[in-house]
Amino acid sequence: MDLLPFFEWAETSLLGTIGKTYGGVYAIGQSLHLMSLALLGGTVLITDLRLMNLLLRDVPSEVVADNAHKWFKFALTVVICTGIFMAAAVATRMYYNPFYWAKMTALLAGIAFVFAIKRPLLKRPHDSIHPVVLKSMALASMVIWFSVGATGRWIGFS
Amino acid sequence: MLFDLAQWVDSFELSTRLHESYYMYNWVESTHVLTLMLSLGMLFVIDLRMLGWAFTGVPASRIAARLNLPMMIGFTVMIVTGLLLFFAVPVRTTQSIWFRIKFLLLIVAAINAWLFHKRMNESVSTWDHDAVAPKRLRTGAALSLGLWAGIVTTGRLIAYDWYDCYRVQSDLIAWAAGCMVE
Repeated sequence: MDLLPFFEWAETSLLGTIGKTYGGVYAIGQSLHLMSLALLGGTVLITDLRLMNLLLRDVPSEVVADNAHKWFKFALTVVICTGIFMAAAVATRMYYNPFYWAKMTALLAGIAFVFAIKRPLLKRPHDSIHPVVLKSMALASMVIWFSVGATGRWIGFS
Repeated sequence: MLFDLAQWVDSFELSTRLHESYYMYNWVESTHVLTLMLSLGMLFVIDLRMLGWAFTGVPASRIAARLNLPMMIGFTVMIVTGLLLFFAVPVRTTQSIWFRIKFLLLIVAAINAWLFHKRMNESVSTWDHDAVAPKRLRTGAALSLGLWAGIVTTGRLIAYDWYDCYRVQSDLIAWAAGCMVE
C-alpha cells in the first residue's frame, strides 16, 4: 500500500498548514517534543538501571517501575502528539526520509516491547523473575529507546 | 569583547573543520540532544518528587541523592558537547539572541539548583517522608521545570535565523543580539 497520498494530504491538512505557516508554533512543538523525550528517556533509564541493579538499589524495583511507568505513559503521549504535528508540516519530505521510517520502526518496536512484554512481566513480583531475564529486558529496553531518540535526531540531518 | 572572542575562536582551523565535518558535527549535536534523556530526565524526576507527583512513597532525599550522579554525568556531557558546538560556530552563536537568553537562563537555573540543594539539605530531616516538599522547595522545583523548558526552547530556537544579524532587525533586537556593524 502506497502511503504517499496520505502524507501529501497530511501536509495540506490544518495541522500541516499551521506547522508550515507559523515557525514559532512549530519550534514550540519541537521543544515540547524534546522535553517529553527527555522525560521518557529519564523514566526508561531509571527503571532499566534499577532492574540492572545500578541505580536506586535501596528502593524496591516494583516501586521504581510503577512510578516511572505513569510518567512514561504521559511522556509517550506528548512525544506522539508533538511528533504528529511536526511530521505533518513536512510530511512529503518525511515520506522520502529513511531515518523517519527507521524512527517509526523503532518507536513501534518500543511501544510493543513496553506494553506487550515489559509491563506484563514487571507486574509480577520481581523476585519471581530470573535476574538474567530482568537484566536482558532492561538492556533491550535501553537499546530500543536510544534508537528511537538517535534515529529521530538524524531525521534533521538527512 | 564577545565578538572579538568569537572571531578568535573562529580563527582556529579545528573550529572550521568541526563545523564542516558532516559526521563529527552531527554526532556532537546528537550527543548534546540525546544526553537530555539522562540529565533532564533525572532532573524532571527529582522535581516531580518534590512537587508530590511521583515517587511519593520514597524519601525525597533518597531520590535526590541517588539520581544526582547520573544527572551530573549527563550535564557534564552536555556542557562538553555544548562547548564543542559553540567552538564550531562561534561568531553566529555569539550573535544569536536565543543563545544569549539560553545562557542567562542557564545561569539562573544553576543558582536555583544551588539554592534548592542548600534549602533541601538544611531542612530535609523534618519532611523527608512527606509526599510533598515544603512550599519553598516546591517553588524551587517548579522554577527548575520552567527554567529548563525555557533553556530547551531557546536552545532549539538557535537553529532558526529569524533574528540573525544579517537580516534587518530593530535596534532593540540588534542590541540584544550584539550585532556588530561591519
